[in-house]
Amino acid sequence: MTLPLTIENLTAHYGPTKVLEDLSLSVGAGELVSLLGASGCGKTTTLRLVAGFLEPTAGTILLGGKDLTKLPAYKRDIGLVFQNYALFPHLSVLENVAFGLKQRGISPAERQKRALAMLERVGLSPLADRLPGALSGGQKQRVALARALVIEPPLLMFDEPLSNLDAKLRIDMRVEIRQLQRANGTTSVYVTHDQEEAFSISDRVAIMNAGRIMQFDTPEVLYQRPANAFVARFVGFENLIPMHVLARQGEQVIAEAAGGVKLHFNQDRFGQIPDDFVLAARADGLAATANLAAEGLPAMLGLRTYLGRAYQYQCETAAGLLVANGSLSDPLRSGDGARLVPLPEQCCILAPEHS
Amino acid sequence: MLKRHAGWVIAAPATLAVIIFLVLPVAATIGTTFGDPDGLFAAYADFFNSGFRRNVLWRTLEISLITTAISLFVGFLTAYVVAKSPGRLKSLLIIAAVFPLLTGVVVRSFAWLIMLGKNGILNNFLVAIGVTNEPLSMLYTQGAVIAAMVYLFVPLTILTLVGVLENIPEDVVQASASLGATPAATFRQVILPLAVPGLIVGAVLVFTGSFTAYATPQLVGGERQMVMGTLMYQRAMVSFDWVGASTIAAIMVVLTITVVLAMSRMARRLNPMAT
Repeated sequence: MTLPLTIENLTAHYGPTKVLEDLSLSVGAGELVSLLGASGCGKTTTLRLVAGFLEPTAGTILLGGKDLTKLPAYKRDIGLVFQNYALFPHLSVLENVAFGLKQRGISPAERQKRALAMLERVGLSPLADRLPGALSGGQKQRVALARALVIEPPLLMFDEPLSNLDAKLRIDMRVEIRQLQRANGTTSVYVTHDQEEAFSISDRVAIMNAGRIMQFDTPEVLYQRPANAFVARFVGFENLIPMHVLARQGEQVIAEAAGGVKLHFNQDRFGQIPDDFVLAARADGLAATANLAAEGLPAMLGLRTYLGRAYQYQCETAAGLLVANGSLSDPLRSGDGARLVPLPEQCCILAPEHS
Repeated sequence: MLKRHAGWVIAAPATLAVIIFLVLPVAATIGTTFGDPDGLFAAYADFFNSGFRRNVLWRTLEISLITTAISLFVGFLTAYVVAKSPGRLKSLLIIAAVFPLLTGVVVRSFAWLIMLGKNGILNNFLVAIGVTNEPLSMLYTQGAVIAAMVYLFVPLTILTLVGVLENIPEDVVQASASLGATPAATFRQVILPLAVPGLIVGAVLVFTGSFTAYATPQLVGGERQMVMGTLMYQRAMVSFDWVGASTIAAIMVVLTITVVLAMSRMARRLNPMAT
């Protein structure tokens, strides 16, 4: 069984502080959606609201059309995997996994059978009789996963499930989680602050900041076409250069950056360009060249670092400190003047930040 | 040389003190109970052949077990509320719980004399609201002794249980709810078993305390509610029957240890992590 999750206009407060503002999100049946953001962005609050550990001040939570908003946590039928595993320390691995089945009034023989089958799937059946205290972090997380999956919930939620594991195990576990989730087709919400984790595991990712969703889309779109400066910075666009349009000639737009440098943009590539905008580029979207005649931002090169595929330069420009890459065949020296040429296919044009 | 034996050197004064002032006197006391010319266990036969003394033993066991059960129950509920309270209120509640401990046992037992006496607060109240026409005799009953001892020991159970309940992680309780356990099921299957270590410590403290109590049963129970402690005092200080008093002491030590062991075995069955 798998159901879509719809969150509508959810608002939540901790005491007088508003931690979630008018948040709406829909997760399709069988889809895995990540909530991604720094701590305090509201992602865990959202999860706790859906789980029923917190009450929203406004808004509704629908699972397959059924309103969960006023339901107590134990009636919501949601599988949860916690950051600290939250295993029952006094129960064996098998009893931990069978716990949810026991609450559903399933006979001891049947729940033992199902719990063992689930432990088999996560590769832990030999440890069925151990207490959680005798398990490693990875094993504990598998037990937590088995315990949440065995009740066959219509919705699974993960709260930073891998943040207590070491790097290698983290990658193995996220592949495993994704495979189990795919195989069961369970609708899932995955909370993390790790961008790589979110992008690698999810169908869609909601990037959150200050209790709002900044952009909700597939990892590909988020990575290549961020919708605003916040998301751009989050996905690694180091250079955000404010620009002002001076003239428009058909699809050609001439815009000016700080220091009076003029650049040409083509609306065929970027779509409608507003009068004031921000040019966003990663380091590899800004090419450093010694050719001072090239159309680009005049810069004074600072520290050079070797990346293997390119050199990277810290550059001082009239628009502030920027980061640009330069070719390996043509190393430039610190202290040299250079031009930083934006590569249109790797740049984005965004609305200016209001601040 | 010094390094290798440093541990022994440091522990020596305390160890010697324990041996000289505790182990030797206890051994000597228990030793005298086996010195009867009528046989090795004659002193114990004496004790158990007396219907009166058997009654005292049963009464003491009954009073201390009931006291333990009530103190744990009341202490658990209170500790649960305290553990769930926000920081500032929690400190206040803990101070309130510990406050009675600042006065002596005798003073606190005396308070019950004032409350339960014929002209006591409780009787005056009951007569005033018309529950009874004449004052009830509440002092010198088993109930009075139990009430006074529960009052004495509840702060101890609250203190031991607050720590244990605070250490139950919130997400474990939430995990239980997310798996469909009703609040009652979470309490029975998660919170109670995880509180077992605290319950054991509390039970041992209350049981040993109430089983060996002297002042409270003496004041509130009097001659009519004689317990092992008061009986032992009577044997030693009134009858000057030192062997009889030592026998009572030995029986109390053995019974206390037995009950404590039985409690921790019971606990291990509830929670395999409890030691």
